Amino acid sequence: MNALNIPGDQSTPSIVGHWDQGVLAMSGDSYPENAFELFGPVIQWVEDFLASEPRPLQLDLRLLYLNTSSIRAVLDIFDLLQAAHEQGKQVGVRWHYDPRNERVRELAEEFAEDCSFPFDIVPSVERASA
Amino acid sequence: MSATPQPLDPKIEQLLADPALADNPLREAMAALWHEHQRLVRRLERITHLSDSFQALAHEGELDLTRKLERQLRHLEKVARISDRYQSMLRELNVALAHASTHDLLTGLANRRLLSERLRAETERSLRGQTPLAVALVDIDHFKTINDTYGHDVGDRVLQTIAHTMEDKVREYDLCGRWGGEEFLLLLPATDGEHVRSVIERVQQAVRLLVFDDLQPPLRVTVSIGVANLQFGESVDALVKRADDALLSAKREGRDRIVYGD
Repeated sequence: MNALNIPGDQSTPSIVGHWDQGVLAMSGDSYPENAFELFGPVIQWVEDFLASEPRPLQLDLRLLYLNTSSIRAVLDIFDLLQAAHEQGKQVGVRWHYDPRNERVRELAEEFAEDCSFPFDIVPSVERASA
Repeated sequence: MSATPQPLDPKIEQLLADPALADNPLREAMAALWHEHQRLVRRLERITHLSDSFQALAHEGELDLTRKLERQLRHLEKVARISDRYQSMLRELNVALAHASTHDLLTGLANRRLLSERLRAETERSLRGQTPLAVALVDIDHFKTINDTYGHDVGDRVLQTIAHTMEDKVREYDLCGRWGGEEFLLLLPATDGEHVRSVIERVQQAVRLLVFDDLQPPLRVTVSIGVANLQFGESVDALVKRADDALLSAKREGRDRIVYGD
C-alpha cells in the first residue's frame, strides 16, 4: 500500500492518497517553487495505482489557484486517467468549486475538455481543512 | 481526394538507411535536420509535461514525430489558455480586495485609509496649482445616546442614512468618507470659501430634514461640523487638526452648527 500524505501550506495544496479507498484528494492553492518535486510523487502514486490495482480510482479536487507548472501537472494526471479509461479502467474526477466564483467552474470545464471519463464539476461550500 | 499523406518518420528513417543514397549530397543535411527535429520535439515534451514517465503510459511512442509535435503544441496552448484564466481571476480578486481595503463596510464610503491618501494627494495638488482646498469634519450629535436609546442596529442605520445623504449632497469631485466611529470627513478640492459654505450648509440642512418616523419616539438627527481651508504651506495633519478644533468648538457652543476654523 502506497502512502501519500503531503500537508499543504500557504502556497502548496494538501494532497492525500487513500490507496484502500482508491481516492486521491487534493485541495488548496498551488504555486510551489518546484512543481516537479511536489507533483512527482503524486504522479508516481497514480501510475502505481493504475498499474497494480483493478479497483476504480477517483480524484477528489478542491483546488483553488494553480500556477502554470501546477496546471501542467494536473493535466498530466488527467492524461494518465484518460489513458487508463481508454484501456477500460474505471476512473473519475470530482472538481469542487466555491459557488460564489463561477469562473472556477469555467476553468474546470477547460480542464475536462479532453477527458471522456466521468468528470463532475460541483458547487461546494468551503470546508475548513483538517 | 488526395490520399492521407504517409507518415513521415518511417519514410525518412528508410531513406537515411538506404545504402543507395549514401552518397547523396542531401543526405548529410537531412540527417542533421532530422536529428535536430527529434531533439526539439523531445524538448517540447519536457516543457509541456511535468512527468518524465508520461510517455510510457500515453503511448506517445506510437505517434509519428509530426503528430507528436502537433499534440504537444495543442497541449501547450491549452496550458496557456488555462493559465490566462487563472490570472484574470487573480486580477479580479485583487480589484475586489483593493476596493474592500479602501472602503467602509457599513456605509460603503471611503474609509480612513483612502481618505488619508486622498488628503495627501489633494494637498500636494493644491500647493502645486495654488488652488484652494477645504476639509470638513462632520460628527453626529448625541450618537452614543442614539445607540443607548434605540440599540446598535438603529445606530448603524443612522450611520448609513447620514452617509448616503451627505454623499448625495456633495459634488462629483468631492470626497465623502468615514473618518471614525460617528465621524465623517468631507474633502472639497478647488473650492473657494463661499462655495465651501454653500456645500456644507446644504449637507447640514439635508441631515436636519431626516426623520426616522418608524421609531418610537421618532428620531431626528443633527450634526456638528468643523471646517478648515488649507493655508499655504500647511501640512495635512495641521489642516485636519484645525478642522477638528473647529468641530470641538461647534460641540461646545451647543451642537447642530457649523464652525469655520479660519
